Amino acid sequence: MLNCIDNSGAAIVECVKVLKMERHAKIGDRIIVVVQKQRSFGPESGPGASAQTSAANKVRRGDMRHAVVVRTAKKLQRRDGSVVKFDDNACVLINKTGEPIGTRLNSVVGIELRKQKWSKILSLAPMHL
Amino acid sequence: MASITPTLRPLACSKSILRRIRQQNTAVRSMMTTTYHRTGFVPPPPIPGAPHVLRKLKAIAPLPSAANKIKDPVKAFQDDQISVLDPTGARTHLFSRKNPESAKQGDILLVRLKNGDPFAGVCINIRRQGIDTGILLRNQLTRVGVEMWYKIYSPNVEGIEVVQRAGKRARRERLTYMRKPKHDRGSVQNIVLQYQRTRGPASGSTAVKVQEGLKGGRRKSKKGRK
Repeated sequence: MLNCIDNSGAAIVECVKVLKMERHAKIGDRIIVVVQKQRSFGPESGPGASAQTSAANKVRRGDMRHAVVVRTAKKLQRRDGSVVKFDDNACVLINKTGEPIGTRLNSVVGIELRKQKWSKILSLAPMHL
Repeated sequence: MASITPTLRPLACSKSILRRIRQQNTAVRSMMTTTYHRTGFVPPPPIPGAPHVLRKLKAIAPLPSAANKIKDPVKAFQDDQISVLDPTGARTHLFSRKNPESAKQGDILLVRLKNGDPFAGVCINIRRQGIDTGILLRNQLTRVGVEMWYKIYSPNVEGIEVVQRAGKRARRERLTYMRKPKHDRGSVQNIVLQYQRTRGPASGSTAVKVQEGLKGGRRKSKKGRK
């Protein structure tokens, strides 16, 4: 279960498959996820505004999408010997061609994305480490 | 002749040959009247049928060994590497146990890198392994906890500064309890900015650069991609 940090509408997604590899996904790897929890948009998600929220959400609960891992709670070693570890696991939803579904990202991402050629996601991020 | 060789086995059977030899040796031993001295080598009695061969072994001189030249190779290697990567000894002194002004667990440290953004955080662990000595810094970036291990002798690490010393000496060596929300320090960015302002305009520009770097990073990375 990962946090989804873009504004696509998903809050928590569950990883169901790691693509192209037989190991655990690291930062920058592509995975297939199923949306488990939708992001509530505060007062908009009241009883009378369900139409609005569903328009703002690009994905709904139960949707299966591709995603890119951007933060792992597992330590990741870099070439200079430094090791990075985040407090949670997070991903960004993308479509089949690799373009992010959301338009904005919320929090910090790992710079391993640059090596894996996810430059669009890296540029959307407010901070990268 | 203690016993007759059994004819059930083939003649060249090693088991029966050995048995015969064993029996002869016991027979010879029981008939002995002299005692063998430890110093002198007396060859065993000849086995009837066995060829008489006396091989002279060539004595080979022992190979030259480096063990006597370097008594503790691991320590020698570590010292050699440290002299290359930290010629002034400043980094070692900063983390030396003998230094009363050293960087300790609980202090907030700022690590400046050659390739990458500077990272600041609370030092929660110092792993002393000679040349591989590393420090674990914990910070919160955009409300997400991040921990980074840095090798203090890495050539990528330009400088390590103590931003703020721990008020009270921590009562343990490893401060991993700081991961719990109750003890989590949170973001140390404010403290770092304050420190950089008090340091003067020379390092104040680094703070501005970092701030701008966050915004300009987007543009920079996009250009870099092409």
